[in-house]
Amino acid sequence: MKNIWKTLTRQKAVFAILALLVIMGAAELFTHTTFYTLYNWLDMLRSAAVLEIVAMGVSVAVLCGGCDLSVGGTLCIGGILAVMTVNAGLPIWLAFAAAMAAGALIGAVNGFLIVHQRTEPFIITLGMGMLLKGIAQQLTDAHPLTCKSLEFMTISNQKYFGSVPSLVVFMLVIVALFYLLMRFTSFGRNCYAIGGNYEVAKYSGIAVVPIKWSAFVISGVTASLAGVLLASRMNTGSSVYGDNTGMLVNCGCVIGGTSFAGGVGGIPQSFLGVFVMQLFTNCMNQIGISSYYQQLFQGVLIVTVIGLDCYGRMLKREHRDRESRLAARMGS
Amino acid sequence: MSKAGEYLLEIKDVCKYFPGVVALDHVSLSIPYGVVYGIVGENGAGKSTLMKILSGVYTKDEGTVIFDGETIERTTPIQALRRGLSIIYQEFNLVNTMTVGENIFLGRFKETHGMKGTHARARELLDSIDSKIDTHAVVGDLSASEMQMVEISKALSFDSKLIIMDEPSSSLTQEELSKLGNIIRSLRQRGISIIYISHKLDEIFEYCDIVTIMRDGRVIDTKPVAQLSRGEMIAKMVGRTIENEYPPRTDNVGEALLEVKHLNTWKLRDVSFTLHRGEILGLVGLVGSGRSEIVRAIYGADHADSKEIRIGGQEIRVKQPWDAKKAGFALVPEDRKREGLILPFSVESNISMASLEDLTHKGVIDKGKERQSAQRQIQALGVKTPSASTKVLNLSGGNQQKCIIGRWLEREPRILIMDEPTRGIDVGAKYEIYLLMNKIVEAGGAIIMISSELPEVLNMSHRVLTVCDGRITGEFDPRACSAADIMDKAIG
Amino acid sequence: MKKEPSRIVKFIQDNLVLCALIVLAIVTAAVQPKFLSAANLTNIMRQLWPLPFIALGMTFVIIGGFIDLSVVGIISLSAVITAISIDTFGQVGAMALGILSGMAMGYLNGVILTNFGAMTQAEVLFITYGMSSIYMAIGLMATNAETIRITRSTRSISLFNALGNGTLGIVPIVLIVFVVILVLMHLFHTKTLAGRGITLMGGNKNAARLCGFNIKRTMRLVYTLSGLMSALGAISLVSRVTTANATCGTGYETNAILCVVVGGTSLKGGKGSVIRTMIGVVLITLLGNCMNMLGLSTYMQTVMRGAVLVVAIWLDNRKQL
Repeated sequence: MKNIWKTLTRQKAVFAILALLVIMGAAELFTHTTFYTLYNWLDMLRSAAVLEIVAMGVSVAVLCGGCDLSVGGTLCIGGILAVMTVNAGLPIWLAFAAAMAAGALIGAVNGFLIVHQRTEPFIITLGMGMLLKGIAQQLTDAHPLTCKSLEFMTISNQKYFGSVPSLVVFMLVIVALFYLLMRFTSFGRNCYAIGGNYEVAKYSGIAVVPIKWSAFVISGVTASLAGVLLASRMNTGSSVYGDNTGMLVNCGCVIGGTSFAGGVGGIPQSFLGVFVMQLFTNCMNQIGISSYYQQLFQGVLIVTVIGLDCYGRMLKREHRDRESRLAARMGS
Repeated sequence: MSKAGEYLLEIKDVCKYFPGVVALDHVSLSIPYGVVYGIVGENGAGKSTLMKILSGVYTKDEGTVIFDGETIERTTPIQALRRGLSIIYQEFNLVNTMTVGENIFLGRFKETHGMKGTHARARELLDSIDSKIDTHAVVGDLSASEMQMVEISKALSFDSKLIIMDEPSSSLTQEELSKLGNIIRSLRQRGISIIYISHKLDEIFEYCDIVTIMRDGRVIDTKPVAQLSRGEMIAKMVGRTIENEYPPRTDNVGEALLEVKHLNTWKLRDVSFTLHRGEILGLVGLVGSGRSEIVRAIYGADHADSKEIRIGGQEIRVKQPWDAKKAGFALVPEDRKREGLILPFSVESNISMASLEDLTHKGVIDKGKERQSAQRQIQALGVKTPSASTKVLNLSGGNQQKCIIGRWLEREPRILIMDEPTRGIDVGAKYEIYLLMNKIVEAGGAIIMISSELPEVLNMSHRVLTVCDGRITGEFDPRACSAADIMDKAIG
Repeated sequence: MKKEPSRIVKFIQDNLVLCALIVLAIVTAAVQPKFLSAANLTNIMRQLWPLPFIALGMTFVIIGGFIDLSVVGIISLSAVITAISIDTFGQVGAMALGILSGMAMGYLNGVILTNFGAMTQAEVLFITYGMSSIYMAIGLMATNAETIRITRSTRSISLFNALGNGTLGIVPIVLIVFVVILVLMHLFHTKTLAGRGITLMGGNKNAARLCGFNIKRTMRLVYTLSGLMSALGAISLVSRVTTANATCGTGYETNAILCVVVGGTSLKGGKGSVIRTMIGVVLITLLGNCMNMLGLSTYMQTVMRGAVLVVAIWLDNRKQL
């Protein structure tokens, strides 16, 4: 029983996906849906692609024991800057470069405030998100900014290998890159160590401050990259994109099992966690549940999953009370 | 072994001062190559401080340290490791969320040629100490002894010349302990020196070649183990009794006041005891023995699987601290800063915290009464503070402790629980706190006192219970027995 | 005499953001005489609502050491409930229902948080965000995402009109209502045992618990208060704009946090007062107004607010170091 509970809390996303697959299988018996078609799955992946790319960067920050809620704003700014660059007649690579530089700058500021000044990441990035949103509105005058370049538009709207949308390909490449980064490089392993136990990592000679700082920079860069791809997909840069992105992506990471406690989880987990939310939406669309109910269920999902995360930690706190007090004494 | 005759580590006249306390007072040690060197002493004798200086967590204030022929001025933990000096702490220095292999090579990922290399080399190291732990297992899932094996492997991975083990046996079973013994012997054969810090004298006698006894930040004696008896060693550890450090004991122990029966938690096994009116009951045990857990469970601060509490023969239910408070308990917690005080708040609001209900009329706090009660306690206890509105943060440790005691005195508790009441407090303030304790029992209250300082318990309490491994192992009358007897039972 | 200046310097250091904003207001007043005109001030007083109510509720949550993002959902849903139920229950009934529903939502938040054992700000942040989207979804379902106009109601809405536009002399009625509530809340916070419990919880949860305070109950109380204030805010909002829809609470959560932090209430909990928050509200509103006067776009105002929030949190954090 204890083992089942343990696996269930660790692999929430896998269980959720299996449950949804079963439910949709059952629904298939009563009504005909297009759920089990290749087209539907590719479409789902394409819709999830932008969030997934953002989630990769955020996962790095979360694994380091941080959190980044400002990605929504970074996403807007990235997209807007790219469209502005292209519209000014500059080459497309420069558009990407400009957006990603802005993302890196935002990440660096976040990193400075969180790692160097030790502010609470949740609150400060929430404020940062608001600030960025305002900048995005100011840049566009709150109107959608249409891109005049056809070339820019094709980036996210073409298909490779016959029927695979390019966004899905980009996403898979980025996910693979991040997986390799976090799993097989010393940077990635050091991130895990920092998130797992900051003090031990420090005493083991890991350069904790620069690494954690760069985690936030990475988070900013991927968010702005996702913003460019989204702008290309929609052919517009707008300040209304990414309103809930920050919250959804961070929640998605936790659903997948990348805990805010830091050091637990990983890239595949975050990928699945964000994908579950997309799958959930798709299932409800297929069954014909209205968007209001979808929002309701999404809320319930977030509360339940984060709540269970807390609950698990509370149980741990009660049982490890002694250890934690010992640790506290050692620190003091 | 080539440098036989010289010393691997020489510590000369090292001093370390903390605010108000001399943690190390001209400590000198010399550790040869390839020996197991024991260091014994009570809690607070300065052993851990010394080790933290060696590992680079603290910096020394005076003295010299020479390691392997090299004078070390300042060092960081990682530099110490790379020089070949490893410490295995009581609380393990491992990242619980990572695998065994990664922990052994933490921060050195580049040197180990990727994951495969890491795990392969970790496997070799673990094999060299006959350990069968899977290098892919997550450290958080391991038992304490397995974690220790991982720590030892980590130390070996640095080609350590000196491994310091701080209380390595505190969480091991008998079987695991004998395994550790084998490892220690095999390490010594490889020419590695080991500093073995422990309370458990049996282990010292079994493993160590030389032993140093420390007390109050000073080295009391250093001798080959064979030349010492257990009794001598305990006598030297416990040491001094300065008579007028403690006020005379009160003598008005009355009938049974509190009965605790069958107290079980995840840590405690069937703890039962009785506390009498007018009595100071001392609980003695090592850190981690379960002494604090006993009082916390009684008070309702920690969850208890089962307990039966009677006050004056009447059974009461205590599930949460406020139940305990209503029943007349009061707790002066162990960790003053985390659990006792609200540091950025004023002295007044820290004192009135527990008695606010009594100062409240129809839900409204009577500010005048609150101020009066704070003033009353400040005067009665002699809290040295510029005013009642000074932040507690700015007071000395002794005065902070008085604030917590004063908070509870305002409620006139029947049973006062004091966990380490004099930790980090200077001698003068200690005496005042002892006087306060006497006053409380003279007024018909009762006190449960936990202390790591044996002399304090011996001189203050009317009865002493020893706690070991979550059980009560003995009951003593401190007037009729020696410190050594008590220590013997507490060590288990 | 020597100590006097250092105290002033210390005050300025402790309230840097506050002082900066005051200077800004003075500068604007000097540059733009219209700023202090009666018309402008009356306008500010009318446009102010419902922020003060929300910030008031948020103050208690933050003093208690937590945070509440669910105010968005609570404002939206209680506005919708109030507007819908006018036809059935009359205006008094509708208001009562709105307030009760707000308190119920806040209480529910508290129950969920305590039962899941959420004890850190991060955990609380996400769970209340989830609750917010649940409440908003319920509002969307109830209204079918349409805007409800209370002016179309068949019953009298005189009370709403009075709250929205009515004045007593030159003082808006809603301001009088608010001041009464503010005074009550201030007394509650400073004088009562429960109010003190909130401060102590924010100061040190463990210490407060060991002194016999029921932390879980205090947490539920704090969130119920936040819900109540959000509902009152919702009613003042409905009265002012005479419409309600299921997303009308958007953006108030960050603004409320902004006001609280600018006022000098620490995000770490335990320190602050409702009066300070009111200073924050006034200054933030003045900031917006100043920028209007100086001809800056509304978007630039969002930028400024965001910047002020980030800087205020940063400085608040530095103070504790």
